[in-house]
Formats: sequence, structure tokens, C-alpha cells
Amino acid sequence: MKMPVALNVVLLVVGSSLFYTYVGQLVPQKQLLPPAEVAIAADLTTDQMVKVGFEVVQQKGLCLTCHTIGKSGTLRYPDLAGVGDRAKTRKAGMDDIHYLAESLYHPDAFVVPGFKGGMPTINKPPIGLTDKEILCVIAWLQSLGGTPSVTMQTTLPDQAQG
Amino acid sequence: MNPRLLIAAAIVVLLGLGGAVRVYFALENQAYHPPVRSLGVESGFPREQALKDIAKDREAKAKAKKYEAPTYRTLPFVSSRVAVWVVAQLHLMFAAFVLAVPMFAFIIELIGYFNGDKRYDRLAYEFTKLLSTSFSFTASFGGFLTFLLIMLYPAFTNYLMEIFSWTFFPYVALFFAEAGFLYSYYYGWGKFHPVVHLLLGLGVNVVGTLIMFIADSWASFMMTPGGVSDAGALIDPWAALDNFTWMPINIHRFIGNIAFGGSVAAAYAAWKFLGAKTDEERAHYDWMGYMGNFVAISAFLPLPFAGYYLAREIYGYNQALGIMMMGGAFSWLFIIQAVLIGNLFLAANYYLWLGMGRIEGTQSYQRYVKYLLAAIAVCFAVWATPRSILASVSEIKAMGGTLHPALGVLGVMSAKNTAVNILILTTYVSFLFYRRTGKRPTVAWAALGNAVQFLIFFGVSGFVIALGVYGYFVDAATRIGLSIPQVLSVLIGMVTMTVIDAFMLRGAEQTGETHWGKLPAISQYVLIFIAVTFTWLMGLMGYVRSGLRQHWHVYGVMRDQSVDAFTPTLGFATQVISVIVIIFFAFIAFVFWLSSLHDKPDWGSAGQGPRGSHGPGGGRH
Repeated sequence: MKMPVALNVVLLVVGSSLFYTYVGQLVPQKQLLPPAEVAIAADLTTDQMVKVGFEVVQQKGLCLTCHTIGKSGTLRYPDLAGVGDRAKTRKAGMDDIHYLAESLYHPDAFVVPGFKGGMPTINKPPIGLTDKEILCVIAWLQSLGGTPSVTMQTTLPDQAQG
Repeated sequence: MNPRLLIAAAIVVLLGLGGAVRVYFALENQAYHPPVRSLGVESGFPREQALKDIAKDREAKAKAKKYEAPTYRTLPFVSSRVAVWVVAQLHLMFAAFVLAVPMFAFIIELIGYFNGDKRYDRLAYEFTKLLSTSFSFTASFGGFLTFLLIMLYPAFTNYLMEIFSWTFFPYVALFFAEAGFLYSYYYGWGKFHPVVHLLLGLGVNVVGTLIMFIADSWASFMMTPGGVSDAGALIDPWAALDNFTWMPINIHRFIGNIAFGGSVAAAYAAWKFLGAKTDEERAHYDWMGYMGNFVAISAFLPLPFAGYYLAREIYGYNQALGIMMMGGAFSWLFIIQAVLIGNLFLAANYYLWLGMGRIEGTQSYQRYVKYLLAAIAVCFAVWATPRSILASVSEIKAMGGTLHPALGVLGVMSAKNTAVNILILTTYVSFLFYRRTGKRPTVAWAALGNAVQFLIFFGVSGFVIALGVYGYFVDAATRIGLSIPQVLSVLIGMVTMTVIDAFMLRGAEQTGETHWGKLPAISQYVLIFIAVTFTWLMGLMGYVRSGLRQHWHVYGVMRDQSVDAFTPTLGFATQVISVIVIIFFAFIAFVFWLSSLHDKPDWGSAGQGPRGSHGPGGGRH
């Protein structure tokens, strides 16, 4: 029996759509939730700051979307392994805390040779880390090849007043 | 008698009497008694007064209530995000169709005007017949979308109005002008001097493009806002309109609309072909389908280049946004895209190869089809190879990571860019073969021309592959830059080969006739499949452009605080896209049916033929 053209066309349209829907189910399924706002206590120890900093780096900060840790070869963005040590000597006259703070508040002030600028300013939207979160991120960055020395009481030039 | 026994008997009798009395009262308590009301309580109960007081208090509170503008509202059965998504995408699809069809209708009419072939005029009119209902659907979905936005996202809609209200009057004025041009163009077919009619067609296209440019500024602002302060206050209205991705989206949509419109028009022709009763009808709709598909594929070939430009600007605006698109949560979406585009290339080539069958003397080119198919299959496979493989823990351990030891190298940009460029070149060669079938060049330099074309094809292919391989040995910035010479070499190669071919086939000897309509039915289903795939691709790309903002209404400026502020899984997104595609085809089937009514005889005049010359443009058919 010959199928009517209209039925063939309906089957083709629905069948093709179902096939593409099926392809869509085969890829990894991940739902992205907005970053949760976490209140950071003012009396965190530096060790606690490192842990909180790593959470911020993975989630709200989106840092690991671009940066890698311990990867070599032709990289698109600087690898973060050993940055805690390198930060001490990157810029003459600037200690590691202030260098790392500058790279977060003013990413294009110093661009690592061999890479292009363009990293988003971290304390402004869309990422918009708070000053406390940035202190924790600095603690975590210091822990990569160095010894964390930043505290919650550390003041940085770009911190919001009050 | 023993006195003790007497005392004990008296006690037993007393206890027995006491028990009997207790049982009597217990039974009496369980018996039915009519209710006894306390008159004192009934008369003093303040229920009615209390109810009055509550109502009075509620009224007083209602009167004292201050107005608070809602930030969000919700619908009962469907999330706000999905409702706006579906309606916006349907509006975009109809808008794309309405903007694209007049472009190629105008060009086809222009060709007919210059070469005097009435078939072109009829074809252009046939395409235009699809427009009037589609225009109404575009406006209806646009109105629906506006109401949904005002209803569900009032604060966000207010903000967009704050930024773009100055564009609304020009937009409305252009919409009136578009309606004027479009309906004059359609109803005026054959009623004006051809040049006047062509000018009306030009008007439809110019005004339609301007409308799209304005609407694009609203959508692109949401992704890459410009001209506003950090807090979102408007500083520079023109910078808000001319934001980072405005022009790339204009260009991308302009080309994409033509590809999409061409494919849907070809699907209409295929539908008519399949239902045709005479050879003449089949010949006409075969030709119409071929032209629609030719338009679609011609526009489709440069579309990836416009896509590169758009992606580059997204990276330029915010690297995190670019990385999120290509390397983050949305990266797997491009594997789905590769499947769609691979299918489009396969189907488009298959249609061209089938089309060779309608021309006599096709054998000389058909023997190359297997090589073309092999090239397409390999490129398709490379393009659809993911960077990291989904694998079990043991498989990951065996591979030493998520990268496959052999296939991992194919899942990177160098390989994919090379594959897509070769796909484009291969499709172009299929078209070139089709174009040359049944013709023999008569110019003296034909052999040289063939050799030069051959050299250009292999030269460009070799260059593209060499750059792709070179990309593995250089840093990322250089590697990204290599896509530009790859793209340019392919474009220049195609243009050069076309120019050579055009001159070489001037006055060519016809070695075989083209039998329009002599094509297997499967070819028409291929055209419909291409239209479905284009529509699905449009839905997918619409999702990534909009979804990329994630939990932002306006990226980095206005955050989405609603319950729908999450980005759904790709699986869910594909389900929504399929629903949109099926709804779109249900509506477009109605458009096709309405257009077909024009060819049916008037009611009560069965057997006297269609209205023909009574209808618009009948005089010029």
C-alpha cells in the first residue's frame, strides 16, 4: 500500500526532530546553576581561606574555565601551577599579595609574556567577586608553590571603602 | 447463724446493688439525648460581628496597600523561560523566512527581467505567494512575545525600554513601510511597469533589513551590552545599539536567513512536486525546488565564516564568555551542531548527485561521486569528533585520560577547521559537476581552463590541510589566526573557479537535455529533510546565543533573579528545540496550504480550472 505524501512528510519532520533530540541526549548533561552567594566570616584563618578560595576559583570565579593547573605545552592562558612562588618576583618592588591582587583587580596591568590580555576584571560583573572572596582567592593562589600569608585583615589598594 | 456470714452477705448485697446502679447509669449515658443548648452562650456569640470586622479590616488594608512593581510573574503550567524561548524562536523563524524570501524573489525577478524568460517571473511570484500569511504570523508571534515579556519579565522589559525606547518609533515606521512595500509587491504583480515592480521589491528588502538591524541591536545588547555604566545606566544610546556583536549578528543573520528561507521555499516546491498531477507541474516544481535549494546552499557555504566573525567578537568582548561557549558548558552543543551540519552537507550533495540524473550525458561526472562521498564522510567524522570522550572509569584509565590516544588529535580546532573547509570545497565541486553536466565547452582554452581549475582545487585543499597540520605546532593565538587564511583561500578558490567556469561555458555545446521533473521522489524528501535540519540548526544556534548569558538578562549588567535563572541541560534544550521545529512546520504547512488555494478552482466552478488571470500577477504568467 502506498503511503499518502502528507503522512510521509509528517513522519519525516517528526522523525528527523526526534533523531536530533536523541543526539542531544547522548552528550554530557549538565545544568548550570547561578553561583550561590556565600557569606565569608571575617575571622577565617589563612588555612581556611585557602579552602574557601579554591571553592570560589572553581565556582563563582570561573577561573578554571580558562586557566589550567600543571599543564604544559601550547597554552591559551597562563598555567597556575607555581604561581605562588612566581608572584613574588614578577614585578620589581611588588610583593606577591599585591601582584596577585593587581592581576585580579586590573588584569591587563601586567600580561605574562607570550600571552594576550583580555582577562575580565574579577571584582566587576559578570564575575563580580567580593573583596573577601578575592582575599581567599589570593590565599589559594599563594598556596600553589608558595606559603599563604594573606589574612582577612590584609588591606588592598582597590578594596571597596567600608 | 454465724454473725460473720451475715455481715459478709450484707456487703456482697450492697456491692451488687452498687454495681447494678453503676451499670444503669452507664447505659443511660450512652442512650440518645436531644441536644441541650445554653441560651446564655447562643445569645452572646459574636461570629457575625467578627466576620464583619475581618472584612472591614481586609478592606482597610487593601485600600492602604502601596503599589509594588513586580519583578517577575509566572505561568501556571510552563516555566517563563520556556514560554518566552518557544515564542521568540517561532517569531525569529517566521521573521527570517519573511526577510529572506523577498531577497531571492527579487533577484529571480531581476534575472527574468533581463533575460526575458517568463519562467523566472512565475517562479519569483510563486515564492512571493508564501509571504503574506508568513508576514502576519511574524507580526502575531512578535506581538505575543512582547506581551509575554511584559507579563513575565516586567522589570527586565522596562530596562530594555529604558535603553532602546528611542528606536521604537523608527521601528514601527519601518514596519508600516514594510507592510506597504510587501503587499504592493505581492498584489501589484503584473499591475505595474516591471521596473516599478522591481523597485517595490528592492524597497521590501531594504526596509526589511533595517527592521532586522534594529531588532538585532536589542538581542545583541543582552549578550554584549555597551553604552551603559557599570550599574547599567544609559550613557551612549548609539554605543548601546552598535554594541560588540551587533554587526556580526546582522551579517550572520542576513546570510543565515537566506539559507533558511531558501530551504523552506525548496520544501514548499518539494511538497507541490510530490502532489503534482501533470508532468508540467512536476517540471515547474522540480525547477523551483532546485532554485530554492541552490539559494539555500549558496548562502550556507559562507555561513561558517560569518560564524567565525561572530565568535571572534564574543571572545573579544569577554574571554570567559567565549571560553564558556567553545570550551565550557556549551562545547558539547557544537558536537550536535556538527551532526546537523554534516547531515546538511550530505543531503545537499546527495540532492545534487540525484539531480545529475535529470540531465543526459551525466556519466562522465557520476564516476567521481564515490570520491566526493568519501571526502564528505571523512570530514563529517572529523568534525563530529569530540575533544574528550565519554568513557567509563576503566576506559579512562586505559586511555590515560579522557582524550582518546588516536582520535583525540581530531577533536581540536585545527582538525575541525580543516574538515569544514574541505567539506565546503567538496560541496562546491559537486555543484560544479552538476553545472557542467550536459555541456561541452567550445572555447579554445578549455583544456587549460580545466587544468587551472584542477590546480586551484588541489592547491587550496593542500593549503588548508597544511595549515591545519601546522596548527598543532604553534601557540594558541597563532593557531586561532590560521583559520583566517584557511577561510580566505577557500573563498578565493571558489570565486576564481566560478569565474573561470562562467567564461569557459559561454556558448558551450549542449550535449544532453535537462528533463525537469524526471527525478525520483526521494530527492524531494531530501529537500524537506534539508529544511527540517536548517530549522533545527537555527533553533540550536538561537539557544546557544541566548543561553550563553546564563543567569543574566543583560550579561554583567542585569542579573536574572527568577526561579528560571539556571541554564538547562543540552538534552532538555534539544527537546524544546524539537517542539519549536514541529510547531513551526505545523504553521508553515498552513502557509503552504493557503498558497495552494490560489491554484484551486473557485467554489462552484469545478472543472473550469483555477482562477488564473483573476489572481494577482495572472497577467504576467
